[in-house]
Amino acid sequence: MRRNLTALFASLLLATAPLLTIGSAAEAQNGPLRIEITDGVIEPLPYAVPSFLPETPAAAELANQITRVIAEDLSGTGLFREIPATAHISTVSDFNAPVRFADWKAVNAQALITGAVSVNGKQLTVRFRGYDIFADNELGAGLQFSGTTDGWRRMAHKVADAIYSRITGESGYFDSRVVFVSETGPKNDRRKRLAIMDYDGAGVQYLTNSAALVLAPRFSPTGDRVLYTSYESGFPQIHVLDVGKVQRRVLSADKGIMSFAPRFAPDGNTVVYSQAEGGNTDLYTMDIATGARKRLTSAPSIETAPSYSPDGSQIVFESDRSGTPQLYVMAASGGEARRVSFGKGRYGTPVWSPRGDLIAFTKQSKGRFHIGVMRLDGSEERLLTASFLDEGPSWSPNGRVIMFTRETQGANGRALLYSVDILGRNLKPVRTPDGASDPAWSPLQK
Amino acid sequence: MGLQTGTKFSLAGHGLLVGWVAFGAWLPSEPLPLPVQEVAVISAEEFARLSQQIQAPEITETPSSLTPPETSLAPPDLPLRPETRPDTSIPDATAEPVVDAPVPVLPEPEPEPEVADTLPEPVTPPETLPESPAIVPSQPVPELVRPAERVAPVPVEAPEEEVAIGDLVQPEVNPDEGALSEQEVQEATAPEAASDRIVTEANESDEAEPAPPVTAPLTSVRPKTRPRRPAPAEVAETTPAAPQEDQSSAIEDALAAAIAGGGEVAAPEPSGPPLTVGEKDALRVSVSKCWNVGSLSTEALKTTVEVAVSLDPDGRPKTSTIRMMSSTGGSTNAAKQAYEAARRAIIRCGAKGFSLPSEKYDHWRDIVMTFNPEKMRIK
Repeated sequence: MRRNLTALFASLLLATAPLLTIGSAAEAQNGPLRIEITDGVIEPLPYAVPSFLPETPAAAELANQITRVIAEDLSGTGLFREIPATAHISTVSDFNAPVRFADWKAVNAQALITGAVSVNGKQLTVRFRGYDIFADNELGAGLQFSGTTDGWRRMAHKVADAIYSRITGESGYFDSRVVFVSETGPKNDRRKRLAIMDYDGAGVQYLTNSAALVLAPRFSPTGDRVLYTSYESGFPQIHVLDVGKVQRRVLSADKGIMSFAPRFAPDGNTVVYSQAEGGNTDLYTMDIATGARKRLTSAPSIETAPSYSPDGSQIVFESDRSGTPQLYVMAASGGEARRVSFGKGRYGTPVWSPRGDLIAFTKQSKGRFHIGVMRLDGSEERLLTASFLDEGPSWSPNGRVIMFTRETQGANGRALLYSVDILGRNLKPVRTPDGASDPAWSPLQK
Repeated sequence: MGLQTGTKFSLAGHGLLVGWVAFGAWLPSEPLPLPVQEVAVISAEEFARLSQQIQAPEITETPSSLTPPETSLAPPDLPLRPETRPDTSIPDATAEPVVDAPVPVLPEPEPEPEVADTLPEPVTPPETLPESPAIVPSQPVPELVRPAERVAPVPVEAPEEEVAIGDLVQPEVNPDEGALSEQEVQEATAPEAASDRIVTEANESDEAEPAPPVTAPLTSVRPKTRPRRPAPAEVAETTPAAPQEDQSSAIEDALAAAIAGGGEVAAPEPSGPPLTVGEKDALRVSVSKCWNVGSLSTEALKTTVEVAVSLDPDGRPKTSTIRMMSSTGGSTNAAKQAYEAARRAIIRCGAKGFSLPSEKYDHWRDIVMTFNPEKMRIK
């Protein structure tokens, strides 16, 4: 009996031996060790920007100011974190001197920005270099900007855009402006006027007075003009305003016909807008030069808030043809529209991303408002915000950030501008002197 | 039948004899005739050999703790001998002529008497210093197995081995070695041999030279894996040269190569046990801590890159060997940004060396890390 058991055990061992061998062979390593990393961290990238060197006595103050604007631009994105100057081990005393990478590694700086500023009369010159500390190398070649001293902020923004682009791989958005509706007074007597400012809230200028209600300003593709809706005549009409000359004119002057929600086509020559006529609201296009109009929709429902795709071939708009406001996409020339929003709630104010891959929208659901994004087919809907009232998203020039209006609740409620990363991070208010609503982000300035 | 009868008689006779012997031995417990006869046959020298051979296994056990056995063994020898002597020596009549004195000493403490054999001449040491100097050294030395030979073939064999041992352990042995002089040592240095042993033991604790011979057989298996390593070195030599010259161009070249599908690396096929799952996870976690995708563009966040790196034996990445093998899901520019983030992760978290088992260096000398940000897009 014992022999039988022993024989059985031995036979089992022999039978399983090949399997064990196969298993170990499967674990055997061929070639280099391979591992897959799927979990990382999402942290602001630490960088250092020592105060730019003034190369002329008159440049001392501007050098510091430019440095501060650059740091605010980069840190304001939420993607970067400035290492304070007090933590710096190394100092930059010569713009052309080699960088001591070890000193910057010691403070965990992963990027370094050095620069020099010179002023000759009203001529301002800014030079800068970026460094990838852990690569012991420059972040591309150094650049130099020249202009007048009045434009020092723009030059600082351009430096920040260049650094941002070199680190993230996408274009920046700092040298851009925002047109918005400035609001003053209580809710029951609110005065609104158009204003324009740098993207960061600096240099606010008013484009209209507060005599008439203005709504929904929109930049032209080149940023030199603004479309907006004004109640100056008693009912909504579309106006176009030359930003440089601050001159405006009425685009649609048909009395008794309400036109609103205008937006430029990518070519800058056509405007798509909503027109309410006979109790029905539909989408129209108008040639700015000739005034020729074309009706795009003829449904008995309300179609409004149109927005062109970047290539100008399609239009996304809001319609309640299904019973509740939803988002639809159709060809720029009109025709059949396909619904793209299917979530619970009401969708409105869609805006096509400058990259063309996403649609930003306002969503009302369960008594709260959200700013969200979705793909062109309605998939991957992602709500970025939630509050008492969020609405009116506008894309940054690079499609990375969305600016919108947030209004607080109550009699003393106030509208302010906020911005948020399209991943839902870095939600923050935009500095404005008064209340603000209906932001529209310009393209990058040239 | 007759045979059976004969065998029966034989068995009966032997049984009686055995029974008689047994009863004779057990009933009269005191006389113990049989042991006395055996004792008489064995000589002191033979016992010495036997006892030393028996001691050999004991010696192997003691190496770890030398002192305890010494104290424990030494004392029992001395006290037991006097006690046993009176009991056995007196009753046996046959054994009387053989030897009186040695017999009682040898039989009972069979294993130990060896010490007594060598010592009887210098009997004095056991008496005066049974505990520390004399006994202690002699026992531990035989532990090395060599002393046993020394004791028996005193003149010839011992010196050779002693020389070898002395070389390993002590400078004190030098005089013996230098001589090559087995003869000299043999006779005159017999006591010195004992002293050599003592010294070696003491040095063992200081130097650990005796350990090597013990561990040698254990390590002999591992060397088999190491000889094969030329292939990876060649790969590392060819690639690093480019990155040092121009980082940007190197990246572009890597991208082009990756797009062209030429990113494969020759497999060095390391042998030996591979990294465990836990060890791989530890490496993965350590790199993940520094993989910061916060500053990546949305397109780069959709780009998966394979990055190859070679590590030094201390676990630090060789910066010049970091290169992108391939990328998927994004444009060239996005792949470049994704690669830069991965590269920073490797350099930053590898600055102090990744915690990897050094004995498996062959397995992690070259690593290909796949950075897949799919999950990070959701966060």
